[in-house]
Amino acid sequence: MVQDSDAFAADLLRGHTDTIVLGVLRRGESYGFEIYKTIRDATGGAHEIKEATLYATYRRLEKDGLVESFWGDETQGGRRKYYRITDAGRAVYARNVAAWAATRDIIDSLLIERH
Amino acid sequence: MTTIHRLLDEAFAGIEPTPDAQDLKEEMRANLEARVAELEADGVSPDAAARRAIGELGDIRELLGELPDAPRRSPWDPPAGVRIRPKPAFVVRVTVAATVAAAALATFALGALGVIPLPLGATIGLLALGASAIGWTVGDALHQETTTNHPMPQARAGGFYAATSLVIFALGFGALIALGPAPLWTVVFPSIALVLGIALFAFLGATQTNRHKSWALRHSEQYTQQEDRFSQDPAAAARFGIYTLVIIVVAVVAFIVLGFTTGWAWAWLALVAGFLVMMIVLARMLFPPTH
Repeated sequence: MVQDSDAFAADLLRGHTDTIVLGVLRRGESYGFEIYKTIRDATGGAHEIKEATLYATYRRLEKDGLVESFWGDETQGGRRKYYRITDAGRAVYARNVAAWAATRDIIDSLLIERH
Repeated sequence: MTTIHRLLDEAFAGIEPTPDAQDLKEEMRANLEARVAELEADGVSPDAAARRAIGELGDIRELLGELPDAPRRSPWDPPAGVRIRPKPAFVVRVTVAATVAAAALATFALGALGVIPLPLGATIGLLALGASAIGWTVGDALHQETTTNHPMPQARAGGFYAATSLVIFALGFGALIALGPAPLWTVVFPSIALVLGIALFAFLGATQTNRHKSWALRHSEQYTQQEDRFSQDPAAAARFGIYTLVIIVVAVVAFIVLGFTTGWAWAWLALVAGFLVMMIVLARMLFPPTH
């Protein structure tokens, strides 16, 4: 059962990848691995969103103009591709968070027994 | 560290090296390095760390595949349905700048025409203020994010502010000389301002990169055919920019030289000639003769 509940939680998390990434970027510009780590640490390391999923998310968000990317000027090792949230991204983020809050209340009232 | 580069090459083997794929590969490289460093810090052997980091990437081909478009109401609707409205602070700034510009330039005009007696210094000061305010609206507007465009970086927007201000200042100063209040020799100042302004515009234009959000770019490619030469051949556009700069500089120099030698009554013809040559060059370059 433990594994089943894990899969359920991971699924729920994955469904909100776009909004989660926008939420991370809202705190400041960041690059792939750092975003990945922020999300992983926030879940206490129990769940993670796969890196492949994140790359797909960055590409989609950038295509939609919700984030913009630029290359860092690291002198050592590979150059990092940084992402920065746009005003359009902030607006979508705010809308999604509001939708989530409303949905969460509905699911809570449906799933959690009240005594 | 050498292994992840080899493994990354293997992962991308057989994938067409489009700019998009190269971009993704370089992005992954830096992230992989960071992930491997983290795994090694946890005590994983370098080889195993590299293999694990690569394994976590999944299928690259899938990532590079076409992203499905969400259904839209019209082709120009932004993908997430988000329209960016102007920020209130921006609206206030532009309104103030426009008011200042209108007031300063109107007073300048009255002063230049001699309707109200103003010292020459004050008239020029008003012109500088008005030109600066118009430049400000241009620069500030370019620095704003819009529904289809990313904002222009501050330094570049500042360049447009300076270029616009210089050109307007030059035009106003020219009027001041033509109308009489300013002595003829001061033509040096607007000439320098004009050349600087145009040079700055040419530089900014030649180094301009795309600021459209990528969905907007994709749609514009889909719905308009790029038929004029400058969109098909950016090198031609850059060449035209350089020709224009040369023509304008020659015209302004000829204007000044003619003015001091044969007199100012006909010197302006040099500027007209420069403009005509520029328009002919533009026509020739935009629509090259087909043989």
